[in-house]
Amino acid sequence: MTSKTLIDELIYRSALLMDSKDFAGFLDLCDPAFNYSITAYIPEIRKETAWLEQNKEGMKLLFDTLPRHNSDHASLSRHLTVYTVEQDEAAKQAKTISFLQAFKTSLDGGATELFAVGKVHDTISLSGDKPLLLSRNVRLETRLLGIGFHIPL
Amino acid sequence: MSRNETAWKEQPKFPSTHFVDTRIYTDKQIFREEQEKIFNKCWIIGCHESEIPNANDYRTFHHPGGAQLFMIRGEDMKVRAFYNICPHRGNTLLYDPVGNAKRITCIFHAWSFNPKGDCIDIPRGKEGYQERYDCKDAGLREVKSEVGYGGFVWVNVDDNSGPLKDYIGDALGLMEENLSMPLEVFTYHKAIVDSNYKLWHDTNSEFYHDYMHYFNRITGMLQPGYFDRQYKGYPNGHASVGSMEIKYDAYAGSKTRSVGWPGLAPGGWVLIDLFPGMTFNLRTSVLRMDTAIPLGPDKLIIEYRGLGLKSDTPEQRAERIRDHNTIWGPFGRNLHEDLLGVHGQGLAMREGSDSKWVLHGREENSTIHDEVGMRHFYAEWSKRMGRKAYDPFNDNKLA
Repeated sequence: MTSKTLIDELIYRSALLMDSKDFAGFLDLCDPAFNYSITAYIPEIRKETAWLEQNKEGMKLLFDTLPRHNSDHASLSRHLTVYTVEQDEAAKQAKTISFLQAFKTSLDGGATELFAVGKVHDTISLSGDKPLLLSRNVRLETRLLGIGFHIPL
Repeated sequence: MSRNETAWKEQPKFPSTHFVDTRIYTDKQIFREEQEKIFNKCWIIGCHESEIPNANDYRTFHHPGGAQLFMIRGEDMKVRAFYNICPHRGNTLLYDPVGNAKRITCIFHAWSFNPKGDCIDIPRGKEGYQERYDCKDAGLREVKSEVGYGGFVWVNVDDNSGPLKDYIGDALGLMEENLSMPLEVFTYHKAIVDSNYKLWHDTNSEFYHDYMHYFNRITGMLQPGYFDRQYKGYPNGHASVGSMEIKYDAYAGSKTRSVGWPGLAPGGWVLIDLFPGMTFNLRTSVLRMDTAIPLGPDKLIIEYRGLGLKSDTPEQRAERIRDHNTIWGPFGRNLHEDLLGVHGQGLAMREGSDSKWVLHGREENSTIHDEVGMRHFYAEWSKRMGRKAYDPFNDNKLA
């Protein structure tokens, strides 16, 4: 069994790397079969939606094209708390649920405001010499996201 | 050459139809007049019929004129709209954005209403009001409503307004075939921005700002046909923009859309702006509908709906959702840029910032970078407001 500490560290490291916009570093934490999504339930229309869905290649392309876009340059700080870790030894995977708070800090003056809360559902591959993210679903509670954001959570 | 204060305030060297005074975006009195003379007179989209498919389904709506409304489908399947306010002590009747209520009961004192707006129960009514007041005196305030033009539920709080078709005229003719089959809302979100509603509608009324969008430059502006897209104005301040073929695969990671839309050429993109703040934006596989709802001169809510065909297969629907959210979702490539732009205008044009003028002076034979769409809007705005957009307080020193 992989130690819970290693799994926790993978999740926390992913947040640190995204906060520092080290996108290559983040992708290094991901399995080649990695899939990423941001989803939410929309009560106004009683439907699910996926606001972002990408595989690992799509995430890389998204990160690579960011400099060509006009974006809000405020920084995001992602606070994750790992709630549960369930390991499946036969499948060599772990499923985790973490709570996410993302704070946005403006460049001008440095005011920080809460941007979004939700839960992060990760599937982690334990088949290699270190745990890797196999899938990440950011399940948002927050749906009023101001002017939005170009960088995934 | 930079300009001093005098030069900064000089009338732009355009006809007066080609610029506006920025106080129309910041002044509180003008905003209150807009609520009264524009929003409370015009037909506004409250929701889509697919949001209330069953008898007794309701949907709440913050009307841009200020009233809180709800639209509800009766047992007779007719959609009606009412003020979301209890006639007793002024409490909110329906709190959730959607629901199903055969009986609408105010949580405060349990006065109850049916989906036709009739009051059906006043607890201990006889004891308190004797013969002086009863249910027949306590109906809800109904607002005019019609369902049409793609199944949208339109409301008009002016009891004396004409029918919806007179208001729309031929403006949606370009999409007549596209809107002819049952549609369904598949995604919805709101944005609240510190800016004026007209600035958002302006963004939807000019394509010159495609310079802001890397995606649009690559897939549109650099492609054949882009500069041929033509604006057309219609009565009541509406305007449309003709189509071209978007080259989606020109953007890294993006693919040619596999799902299209009946009546629209592959890769097509048609846009229709309706006065005072609604936009039908049909781009290849998705109809996006914007509704701008001002909360004040410098704050607005924009409701975004993404629609597909009700007949979609699960695969088609998934593709439409992906197509919509890749560009227009809160994490999409384009919407964030548009909102950043209108947010920036809100910052720069706050009251007291001495911003003075906004130019609408581009003339390119009504093609895509012509600013005729905005000029058309402000001609209607000026007519309804009884104010000149370029001199709203008659105090500008104009040539």
